[in-house]
Parts: sequence; C-alpha cells; structure tokens
Amino acid sequence: MTRQKRSHHRLKRAAAPYLYLSPSLLIIGLLMLLPMVTVIGYSFQNSAVLRRDPSFAGLKHYHAIFADPVFWASLWHTLYFTCMSVIFHMTIGMVFALMLNSDRINPTLRNILRVLYILPWLFTAVIIAVIWRLLLEPNGVVNSVLMQMGIIGSKVEWFSSTATALHAVTFANIWAGYPLFMVSLLAGLQGIPKDFYEAADIDGAKAYQKLIFITIPQLMPIIISISLLDFIWTMQVFPLIWITTGGGPIYSTEVLSTYTYKLAFSSYNLSQASASAVVILLISLGLTLFYIRYQKAR
Amino acid sequence: MAEVILENICKTYGNNFRAIDQLNLSVEDGEFLILVGPSGCGKSTALRMIAGLEDITSGSLRIGGVDVVDMPPKDRDIAMVFQSYALYPHMTVFENIAFSMRLAGKPKAERKKRVDEIAKTLQLTSLLDSKPANLSGGQRQRVAMGRAMVREPAAFLMDEPLSNLDAKLRVQMRAEITSLQKQLGVTTIYVTHDQIEAMTMGDRVAVLKGGVLQQVDTPKRLYESPVNAFVAGFIGSPSMNLFEATLTGDELMSGTFAIRLQEAAFVRRPGLRSFAGRKVVFGIRPEDLYDSSLESGRKYQTIPAKVTSIEELGSEHIVHLNIDAVRVDSGDPDAVDDFGLASNAVARFEPISAVHSGSEIRLALDDAKFHFFDPETHLAI
Repeated sequence: MTRQKRSHHRLKRAAAPYLYLSPSLLIIGLLMLLPMVTVIGYSFQNSAVLRRDPSFAGLKHYHAIFADPVFWASLWHTLYFTCMSVIFHMTIGMVFALMLNSDRINPTLRNILRVLYILPWLFTAVIIAVIWRLLLEPNGVVNSVLMQMGIIGSKVEWFSSTATALHAVTFANIWAGYPLFMVSLLAGLQGIPKDFYEAADIDGAKAYQKLIFITIPQLMPIIISISLLDFIWTMQVFPLIWITTGGGPIYSTEVLSTYTYKLAFSSYNLSQASASAVVILLISLGLTLFYIRYQKAR
Repeated sequence: MAEVILENICKTYGNNFRAIDQLNLSVEDGEFLILVGPSGCGKSTALRMIAGLEDITSGSLRIGGVDVVDMPPKDRDIAMVFQSYALYPHMTVFENIAFSMRLAGKPKAERKKRVDEIAKTLQLTSLLDSKPANLSGGQRQRVAMGRAMVREPAAFLMDEPLSNLDAKLRVQMRAEITSLQKQLGVTTIYVTHDQIEAMTMGDRVAVLKGGVLQQVDTPKRLYESPVNAFVAGFIGSPSMNLFEATLTGDELMSGTFAIRLQEAAFVRRPGLRSFAGRKVVFGIRPEDLYDSSLESGRKYQTIPAKVTSIEELGSEHIVHLNIDAVRVDSGDPDAVDDFGLASNAVARFEPISAVHSGSEIRLALDDAKFHFFDPETHLAI
C-alpha cells in the first residue's frame, strides 16, 4: 500500500464514527442547540423578537427578574413542588415496590395491584389535571368523602385557596409520578440476590435491619439516578399546573415554567421571559452535570 | 460445638415432589461431614433445612441436643458459607465480617477485637478496608469463612463454597478449609458435587441420590466397599467400569471372553455363589486395568479390547476402550461423561504404555479387585 493510500484509509477510519453520529448531531443541533443559543441571545436584547433591530440590553432583564418578588415566589414554589414530589415519589414508589416484591402477597393479587399501581403513569398530564380538577372541586368526590368522614367541616376549595393550592397541585403530581420509581425499584429489588437475605436471616437480622443494611444500599444507585432525573423533569412541569391553577390564585402556585410562559405569552416580554428561561436552564444544567458526574463515578 | 442429628427428615414440595426422603444422619461433635451427590440429589436442600432456610416437612433435627425444627435460622447457632459467598458489595471486608455482631448490638471495640483476631487467622488483616469487588476469588472465600467464624457457631454449614474458584485455587482452598476446620474443631457439614473434595476433605462422606441417603462412611471405605452400584460409579474419577456378565461355575462369561474367578472372591462374598447360572454386575476401577504388554510378570488374566481414544495426562494415560461386554449404568448422570460414544470402558495406564488410538490390545485385569452387584437391585453382593 502506498503512503497516500494508507493515510486516506486512516482518515476514513477516523471519520467513520463522526459520519455515523452526524444525523443525530444535526437534529440535536437544529432542534436543541440552536433554540437554546437563540434564547440566551434574546435574554441580552431589548424587545427581542418584537423588533427587527433589538438593542443590546446587557444584564438588564436578569436584574429585572431578580428584582421581581413573583420570580422568587416562583422559585420557592418550584423547589417546594419539586422536592416534595421527588421525596414522595421515592417513598411511595419504594413502599409499593416492596409490597409487589413480597412473597407474602398472593400472586394473583400481586398482578392486579401491579396493573393498578402503574395506571397513573399511563395518563397524559392533561388527563391527570382534568381528573384532579374534577376530584378536588368544591362539590367533588374528595370533599364529599372527607366531610362524611368528619375530617373537614366545610367544603375546601383545594385549587382556589392560596393556603391549599400549592399542596393540591403537588399532591396531583405525586400521584402521577410515583410509578416510575415503583417500576425502577421493583426491577432493582428483583435483582438483589436471595443469598443476601438468607445470610442476614442466619445472622439474625430483623425485617427493618434487612431493609436498612441490604435493600436500601443495594438500591442506592437506582434511587440516586431516578431521583436526579425526577428532579430535573419535575422542575420543568408545566401542563399540570397550567391546567389546574394556571399559577394562581394570587401567584400561590406560580412556578418558574408558568412564570416564564406568562412573561412570554401574556406580557409579551420575550426578553425577560428568555432571561427567566436561562435561569431554569442553568439550574437544570447544574443538576444534569451532577447526574453525569454521578453516573461516571459509578 | 455440637452434634447434629437428623432423624427421618423428609422434604416434600407443593407439587408433591419429594426432595428428601427419610434422611437419617448423625454428625458427631467436631466432625467434618461431606454431603455429596449428583445435581438435584437433594444435598443443598438438606443443608438448607439444617440452616432453617427451608421448612422440614417431617422428621426431627437436633443441634447440640436441642430440637430446632421450629426455630428460625438465627436461633439454631449455625453459620453458613454460601456458594456465591453472599458478601455484601457495599460493605468493606471488616463490615462484612462484623455484620452479625453489629446486628446483635455488640460494642464497637468488641467487634474490632474479634474481627482483627479472625482476620489474622485468615490472613485478611491488610484487606479489612477493601470492598468485596476488589478481592480475588480466594480472598472472597476467606471473607465468607470469616463471616461464619465470627459468630462462633455450634456448626458450620457450607454449600459448595469452592465451586466458583478456578482449579488451582480450589486445591489450595481445599487444604485451607480442612486445616481451619481441624484447628477450630467445629462440627462442619459441607455440600459438594465434586467427589475429589468429598474424598480429600471430610472425616466421613454421605452420598445422596434422588433425596435418598445411599451410604455414609469414611472416604477410604466408600471407595473400597461401595454398598451399591451408584456409590461405586459416583465415587472415583474416572468412574468404576460396570458390566453385565453371566456367572458360570467359577467363570464370568461375557460375549467372547471369560474370566476365571479365584476362590477368594467367593469366600469374601458368600452370596455370590447364589448367582451361579445367572447374570451379575461386576465392576472394576480404571486403575485395576492394565496394559498387558507391561504386566507380563504379574500373570493377570487378559481380555481383548480396542483402544478408542487416549488422554495423555503426563503422569498417566486415561485410555478409553471398547470391550465385548454390556456396560451397566450406575445411575450417576455425571458418569456418562467418562465414556465416549464409541467406548464402554476406561483404564488408567502408566505413561510408558505404547498403546495408541485404534489399536487392538489385550487388557489385563486384576480380578481380586472386582466388585459384584445384584443386577436387579444394584446392591453390592
């Protein structure tokens, strides 16, 4: 083989992986990177999109949103909504997974429960929002049951009261999201060798000790991975809140996604909306980097 | 330390499959007993019943004089070494060994002292902070032993603990476990399907087949005086050659050859005469068959045989042969591997033997070493 032919062959070999990747890189570039960069650009412009020749605004829009108390309320609501959702997704998912993995439950019942427990996952956010709006209506089933049980004295306006609205949307999101944890943890539980529990039985471990010393440490990689992913996804939840409360009443359920949406499409302040979107992007990016680092460390 | 006594132990599963049938076994205080048998014979089930990991359908089990049938595993005062070692991957070697003490709420200082002692015995001191994933197979095996030792149990139960190791390490660990057991003097029940482990490690060996105990004896007696054709075929590698022949007077007749039996064979086995004129199963171990060209001095009887293949192992030749006789199946599923499709006998020749594949030879046999079995019941005569 001549030297020219050899270097041509080497070049082809080096280029091959990039050629294989090029279609997906092109799509990601067009559909993700381009809009992201454009939005970042908008956040530094005055009257972005609305004017043909927008002027450079520097950090003006960032100053504006950081000075806006609604932004801080939204950030707090987002954190509350996300943290509570992730914690309860994990707890409920774990309890149900342990239940479905237990030999003590009749296999037929176990199969029925498995289908029932996974149901919320099959619904889209819009359907979940509609279901919970109907259930939590002042004249809805929840109020009627709670009143009959004597837990509440009068009808509660779950989505319309500033005291309960954030808890109500969080509750609906918890209901909708635990199956992901349940399914992942169940798969993890089924992968824990039986020998571990038998060895612990011989060593005299009680049920709670087996949970603490064997089950949870064995599931830890799944718990951390799914929690981080759930955190990233829940932070960006929009349709559930938009359809149930629209961020209200009086901003009590305003989260970063609804805050940004309103800035963009209610106030047509696309520059400030872009700045708010960049803040969401930075928080998500931080969590994603954390997730990637964790995955690499494993 | 304690004796372990199993009386009429039975295990029947939900589908009426009887895994263990009327198992009677007495393991003395400090004894090293091996439970051996082919796959699916019930040896692991028996061990798991002693550990309390499987319910006992009927029968009595006493450890140290205490009836433990209804006791949970933790109260039986036993420790178990699993085939997979069952080491917790998220814990260090120290934490793994100290786990039972931690569960029992023993103070940290006491835990450390005891684990250090054990680590010293097992040469694990430098590895106490390592995780199991960073250990070699042999080291993991020792940690599993340490975890069992830390509890100072009345009995050790070991379920094929060497089966995950490579051949060389297995030999080393065999010796280590044997000497450790002697040093500690703890009653040990050890399950294996490897009859080399069975023969080299235990004080006594219990052979199981299909959930039924066949024979319990010292390795030497098991080898020399098997009670039936199954034990004869199972113990020894390669397996004993078993053939069908007709006993006519003092001769064993099979196909084109006849072997004259010495008077001593009948004196040792008075029952053998009653098989005169009938079929009988005779067995001979591969090391009692010789290349006649090397054995002219010993005046053994010879029979014709055709060499089908040879495995040259350096120290000996394993020679696969075909002789004019009907081979008898001992009932050991693993024994089939010793015979090829074209051969029905295996001999162990000295490496100076010049026989080669395809050659017709005269096979010398030491008829004083014959074993005889009833063709109907397969029991030793």
